Amino acid sequence: MPPAAARPAPPAAQQPLPSDTIVITGVEGKFALPDCVPRKPDEASQAACRTLTQVLRADLRFENLFQFVQDSLIGAIPPLNPQAPRFEDWKGIGAKFLISTQAEVTGGELVTEVRVYLVDTGQAMLQRRYSGKPDNPRIFAHQASDDILALAQYKGVARTRIAFVSDRDATKERPSKELYIVDYDGYNPRRVTVNGSLNILPSWRPDGQAIAYVSYRQGSPLIYLAKIFEGQSVANLSGEKGDSQAFSPVFSPDGKSIAFASNRAGSADIFVAAADGSSPRRLTTTQASDTAPCFSPTGQEIAFTSNRTGTPQIWLMDSDGLNVRRLSQGTGNYNDGCAWNPAKQYSEIAFTARLEAGPLHFDIAVIDLATRQVRQITEGRGSCEYPSWAPNGRHLVFSCERNKRWEITIADREGRSIQTLATGPGNNVQPDWGP
Amino acid sequence: MPFRLAARLPLTFLTLAFALTFGAGCPSKRPPALATAQPGEGAGAAGADSRSHARTQPVEEGPDVRAIRGEGTSGSDIAGGGAAFSGEGGPLADIHFELDSAALSDEARATLEKHAAWLQSQRSAHVTIEGHCDERGTVEYNLALGEQRARAARDYLVSLGVAQNRLNIVSFGKERPLATGNDEAAWAQNRRAHFAVK
Repeated sequence: MPPAAARPAPPAAQQPLPSDTIVITGVEGKFALPDCVPRKPDEASQAACRTLTQVLRADLRFENLFQFVQDSLIGAIPPLNPQAPRFEDWKGIGAKFLISTQAEVTGGELVTEVRVYLVDTGQAMLQRRYSGKPDNPRIFAHQASDDILALAQYKGVARTRIAFVSDRDATKERPSKELYIVDYDGYNPRRVTVNGSLNILPSWRPDGQAIAYVSYRQGSPLIYLAKIFEGQSVANLSGEKGDSQAFSPVFSPDGKSIAFASNRAGSADIFVAAADGSSPRRLTTTQASDTAPCFSPTGQEIAFTSNRTGTPQIWLMDSDGLNVRRLSQGTGNYNDGCAWNPAKQYSEIAFTARLEAGPLHFDIAVIDLATRQVRQITEGRGSCEYPSWAPNGRHLVFSCERNKRWEITIADREGRSIQTLATGPGNNVQPDWGP
Repeated sequence: MPFRLAARLPLTFLTLAFALTFGAGCPSKRPPALATAQPGEGAGAAGADSRSHARTQPVEEGPDVRAIRGEGTSGSDIAGGGAAFSGEGGPLADIHFELDSAALSDEARATLEKHAAWLQSQRSAHVTIEGHCDERGTVEYNLALGEQRARAARDYLVSLGVAQNRLNIVSFGKERPLATGNDEAAWAQNRRAHFAVK
C-alpha cells in the first residue's frame, strides 16, 4: 500500500485569487452568517449542516478579525433563501457581507456550498462547492473558513494541528508519556507514539508530514523523527554515539536544517545539521548548558537558552554561531523555551519567564525585538510554559498547570483571550503548533 | 484598517474533492485502534472504544509510531518499551542537590566516595547515573540541569579513580519525578542523581 496521503488536500489553496482585487476600506462592515440550509430533509444532511454552521462560526471568530451581525437580528428577518437572497433584508440588519452555506449528504458524499456576497451589490465574492467523505464535516468548515479569511488576505489556521505530550495513556507500571496531535480547536486528538517510553519535545517539520521529538526508548534521550502518516520513525536522527544525548530538536523554517542540543562535546551545546541529521555543525562552545534553540522566520538567526552567566537566559546568535548576544534582560533570573514569531511583520520572541520572585512560577512573555519591550501574556493562571506560535503568528499555544493538572492553553498574541484547549484527559504539555 | 477583498471571482463552481479518508479501498488490517476521547463529538468513529480491547491482547511487536490515516488510528503498545528504567533502590544511594544547582554538597561527595569504594570492589558493575530535577523548573532547562547533575556525579567518581567507561549518564529533567507531592520535601527528593547498577 503506498503511503497514505498526508491530510485532506487543500483544494482551495490551489485556486489563486484573481489579481483584480478591489480594496474595501472600513472593516466595520459586519458579516452575517445565518444557519446552513440543508438541501435535503434527511437527518444526515441536517446534522452536517448544524456542524458546518457551528464550526464555521467558531473558526471565523477565532481570528477576531471580523465583526458579526447578532443572531437575534438574523432571527428577526425571513430565513435565508440560498437560491435568491433578498439582499435588502440583510442590508436592513446592518450586514455588509453575507455568508450562505448549504449542505447535503448524497451518494455517500457530503457536498457543501459556500457563498460570500457583498450585500450592497449582491455580488458574489466567493462561491465554492466542497465534496468529500461525510465522516468529519468539521473539515469542510475549516476549509471554508480559511478560504473566507483568504478573501481578506489573511492566512487562516483552521486546518492546522497541534502536537503535544500527554501521560493520559500511562499506567502505574508504565509511567509513559506519548505524543499526540489534535486539531487547532481541540477536536480529534490522536495518539502518535506507541512505544510506552518517555516521548517528549515534539517539533513539526514545516511540511507537516513528520514530527521530530525526543524519546527515551533506548534508555537515554535521543532525537527521533516520526513520519506520522506512514507510521514509521527514524531513530537517533542526530547520530549520537556512546552515551551522548540529544534533545530540543527544531526544524528551520525552510525545512532543510534541524537545530538541536547535544552533550556530545561534554556539556549541552547547540548544533545544526541537515534535516536528515547529516553534516552537523557545533554552534556554541561554552562549558555552560546551551539548549532549546528556535529559528528566526528567515532561518538566519537562532535564539536559545544558556546559563553561561549563571542563570538560564535567552540568547541570540546568527545561524552560523557568530554574533552571540544576550536577549532577555530584566525578566527575572530564569528564562527558557524561546519561540520566534513566524510572521515577519511581528518581530518578536515568546518565551517562558519567571517574572515574579517567590515560589518558582512561570509565565509566558513576548519580547519585541525592535524596542525590547516585554509584554506578559499570562498572569495568575498557575505556572505556564513552553510557548509555540500559530503559523500566522496571531496566536500562541503553551501549557499551564491549573488545579494540579497541566492543560494546553491558547492565547492571542496580545494575551487578551486565553482559553484552555479541551484535548482530553491527563497532563497535557509541550505543545507545538504545526502547519 | 483598510482591508482587501477579492472581487469578480469566476462564477463557475469549483468542484473540490477532499481526500477525507486515506488509503481508501485498501482493506484495513491495522492493529486495533487505541482511540482517544473525542471531546464534544457524540458520534465517535467506529471502534473508538477499543482501548480496553487492545490492552487485553498480547502485544509482542508493533510500530514505535502509529500512522495517522484519515480519522482512523492504528498501532499498538510495544511490550517492553521503555526498557532501561532502572526502578528505585539498588546498592548505591541517591545524592541530592540544591534548587537549580548541579554543585555537589559535602554530603553528596561523601556518598560518592562510598560509591567509588563499592565500584572498586565490584569490578564488573556498570552504572547509569540518572540526573533528575524537581517539577518547578522549565522542561528544556531541566533536561540540561539533569544532565549537569549526572555529569557532576560522574566526574567526581572518575576523579576518585572509577573508569569512565563504567559510567553512563542520562538526564530525565523533570519528566520522571520520584516523589509526586507539591511540597519542599517532595521537591528535595526529586533533585537527585540516581545510580542504576547493571
